[in-house]
Amino acid sequence: MRSTPTTVLTSAAAMLTMWLVAAPAHAQAPAKAAPTAADWAALAKLPDFTGVWEVAPGGGGAGRGRGTPQGPSLTPAAAAKRKELQSLGREDNQTANCVPPGMPGIMGQPYPMEFLLTPGKVTIVIEAYTQVRHIYTDGRPLPDDPDLKFHGTSVGQWEGNALVVDTIGFSPLTELVANVPHGDQMRIRERFTLTGPDTMSIETTVTDPGVLSAPYTTTRVLQRHRSWTIAEYVCQENNRNFVDEKGKAGIRLDDPAGAPRK
Amino acid sequence: MRTLTFALIVVVLVAAGAPGVAAHHSFAPFNMESEKTVSGTVKKFDWTNPHTWIWLDVPNDKGAVETWGIEGMSPNYLGRRGWTKNSLKPGDKVSIVVRPMRDGSPGGMFVRATLADGRELRQTGQPTD
Repeated sequence: MRSTPTTVLTSAAAMLTMWLVAAPAHAQAPAKAAPTAADWAALAKLPDFTGVWEVAPGGGGAGRGRGTPQGPSLTPAAAAKRKELQSLGREDNQTANCVPPGMPGIMGQPYPMEFLLTPGKVTIVIEAYTQVRHIYTDGRPLPDDPDLKFHGTSVGQWEGNALVVDTIGFSPLTELVANVPHGDQMRIRERFTLTGPDTMSIETTVTDPGVLSAPYTTTRVLQRHRSWTIAEYVCQENNRNFVDEKGKAGIRLDDPAGAPRK
Repeated sequence: MRTLTFALIVVVLVAAGAPGVAAHHSFAPFNMESEKTVSGTVKKFDWTNPHTWIWLDVPNDKGAVETWGIEGMSPNYLGRRGWTKNSLKPGDKVSIVVRPMRDGSPGGMFVRATLADGRELRQTGQPTD
């Protein structure tokens, strides 16, 4: 079919109509102005979080950070649930199958993370499991009814030399700590503070009515490595570990250069 | 005694904030209270995530060669501690201390290795800039 001026006009009208009809469905946030030169210049006045950071030696690694030695204070119901889960004797969790841990565990991995500051946003590029956290610092409120995500939904604000981040709305596939499923009201507040030229502390406070009988605060210390870059981490590249439905952990030991065993 | 030594090592590692292989999976498949030395020839070295794997051809007591699979930390972790993809090459003669598989399969978790020229490989230590 040849494109006559009439068919072109008709198609254009049809597309315009579709766009007009479809547009409101996407218009959840008010139109956002493009960042100005002043917005970019304002970033220089913020604390310098740029670069690659890793949990410092003794800085509270292995997923937990430095909290109370006995861990979080649980409500009787959550303590009973933990006891029940512990009694199952599960040897591992889904990270063995390459499912990322989500929040808060993702912030305590033995791998670095990089902070990127752009107007209205802080982005944390996390090497472990190739994860990204998006923290909006443009003044928007937290959503009333967020979709449930591994990292939740985060907003932040600058308070002096600290970035204070509030996060809600976590996937049921994540845990508060091992054998403690979080509730739907879990909320995480993180305070990121520069404590030296290349050191940062992250104070993390978790509240979760029904699960925690008191706020659970842990502190982690990060060291900046200016010369580092974030490396690729594709967990499915050569993952030989697994955990089955019953929680039994195993390893696939078939020799890649030979015949599979058994 | 072994158990106590291991418990002490765990306490020291945790106190030092040293991450374990446990960041990605648990130690359950390995006998963490046992060490075994296997000596042989490197068949292949997988410089891959989430773990490196050394495939080691080891002569067994029946005169046959058995290929052992030995799991190490990731290239990301080791690369910041002096290792490269060429730290082990096919044909290298090496003795490796492992925490053996609990089920007796020919495999284990890497502890340390000694090459024919006396060079020692470890996975611990602080990262370098």
